Amino acid sequence: MSSSTSELVRVDETLWEIPASARRDMRVPARVFADRELLDAIVGDRSLQQLENVATLPGIVEAAIAMPDIHQGYGFPVGGVAATELPDGVVSPGGVGYDINCGVRLLALPLSEAELGPRREALVHELSRSVPAGAGKHGRLHLSPAELDGVLVDGPRALLRRGIGCEDDLEHTESLGRLDGADPDEVSLRARERGAGQLGTMGAGNHFVELQLIERIYDPAAAAGFGLAEGGLTVLIHSGSRGLGHQVCSDHVRTMDAAMVRYGIELPDRQLACAPASSPEGRAYLGAMAAAANFAFANRQAIAHGVRGAIERVLGSAVAAQTRQVYDVAHNIAKTERHRDRELLVHRKGATRAFPGQAVFIPGSMGTSSFVLAGQQGAMERSFGTACHGAGRALSRTAARKRIAGGELRRRLQAQGIVVRCLSNAGLAEEAPFAYKDVEHVVEVVQEAGLAHRVARLAPIGVVKG
Amino acid sequence: MHRFVEHTGEVEVDLEAASEAGIFEAALEAFAELTSTDGDREPAAHRIELAAPDRALLLADWVNEFVYLAEVADFVPEAVGAFELAGDRLVATVEGHRDHPRQLVKAVTLNDLELAEVDGRWHGRVVLDV
Repeated sequence: MSSSTSELVRVDETLWEIPASARRDMRVPARVFADRELLDAIVGDRSLQQLENVATLPGIVEAAIAMPDIHQGYGFPVGGVAATELPDGVVSPGGVGYDINCGVRLLALPLSEAELGPRREALVHELSRSVPAGAGKHGRLHLSPAELDGVLVDGPRALLRRGIGCEDDLEHTESLGRLDGADPDEVSLRARERGAGQLGTMGAGNHFVELQLIERIYDPAAAAGFGLAEGGLTVLIHSGSRGLGHQVCSDHVRTMDAAMVRYGIELPDRQLACAPASSPEGRAYLGAMAAAANFAFANRQAIAHGVRGAIERVLGSAVAAQTRQVYDVAHNIAKTERHRDRELLVHRKGATRAFPGQAVFIPGSMGTSSFVLAGQQGAMERSFGTACHGAGRALSRTAARKRIAGGELRRRLQAQGIVVRCLSNAGLAEEAPFAYKDVEHVVEVVQEAGLAHRVARLAPIGVVKG
Repeated sequence: MHRFVEHTGEVEVDLEAASEAGIFEAALEAFAELTSTDGDREPAAHRIELAAPDRALLLADWVNEFVYLAEVADFVPEAVGAFELAGDRLVATVEGHRDHPRQLVKAVTLNDLELAEVDGRWHGRVVLDV
């Protein structure tokens, strides 16, 4: 089924809509936040068709929504938002994705780039030694089954007992780092096997730990509130629930694929498999998803612990102790929220919660700036309190590898003054800056649409890539 | 045979073979191409037993088994040994080696999943989350 791009209607400068009438199976319109230039890039793959498919989900309300960083994914497009009305609207594991609670955490260091001086390379090197990266890499934390259950239920709080993180970190984490309703019994043995040794590991693909310079402040008051000042340093961590979350999604997509016939649900894509949130299958997934989300918050906490360890070894214990967490935010998750007096299950697949005043982090591509935004009221009115999550891929990995060799990219980034640590040259090439949309442009559209506004721009000075 | 298809976000693989069993073999070859390295090659083999309500899901489960083995056993598949496909079941032995897989594959999605016979040739498609 092809997408109905010919029926795209411009609603305003940054919003486009495909009406629900475009396809017989659409229950609500499909809306895309983009300007003309970004839209031209978006129609180049199948992401709008996937967004229309999302609009067919039973119980979906208002619209299937896409952020300006939308690109083709599997089932849901990446950059997609769908809210279903509880109790009987559906939950779709594919609407969260395999990397449950993939997200980003920002730490602010108590020193400037000038004060870091020539120790930058040593710090990036030490970061790369402190955070295991790559496929299947095992971390240094060994959890007994009971300890893993503790992490699944309590998230990073369970790690405080081991001296990993502090109360202040939890207070600066979305949902305080713990989703209610986590049910470890719904996390399969295979999921536990895959994830048990991976706590504190980055993974691969587009995951990274990046050392950054705060190069520009746009909103001094908000920046001060987040503890950010021009010339300062930050570390941005991007990772998720690793093999545990991947397996939770696989398990529950299969369960729902089998259950849909019982609920009379027919969908245009099997990967959208879903069940009413109130059904046994829906409740089981939500319990497992919350557990995997808590694992992911704990994973980023353990990575941050590794980062603080690296800082301590290179810059001293006082600097490590004063390295604060700005915030930690998920971009693959489903959450129960109230919007306009309705209780909704908001699926965010490659999209970030952006409640008014809340910090939102938009990583750029490797070698380009990242942004700190603050959510705005417009997001509550237009996107169920959501903004984008990144620049959004524009080129496939194969196309990126054809355009540049990893070694050459490494040299170019180093010539830009960015210290790079990456296990694989091929993996590096796949994440080349030109493989992504222009993050500044994406952020500009988000701001113009009133979803979130710019607070600070962060330039990479060191990258450790998974 | 297998062919990687352009996909903005993930890895899409088209499969073609003279037989249904050949599609499963082609899927293994695609996964091996993604994950294989030039490192040490300690030989290893795994027996796989699967059951699924339809053959397309069985294909997805087959590749998901490699995802699992790559992560928990550092297993990189190279070739199908014994292989039996009957009804809703598959029993096989897969030979390969132990190594750190080059590419992380998170999962096999059900997006555009296909396994069908068209004009006497078998065709399959899987989209991998990477």
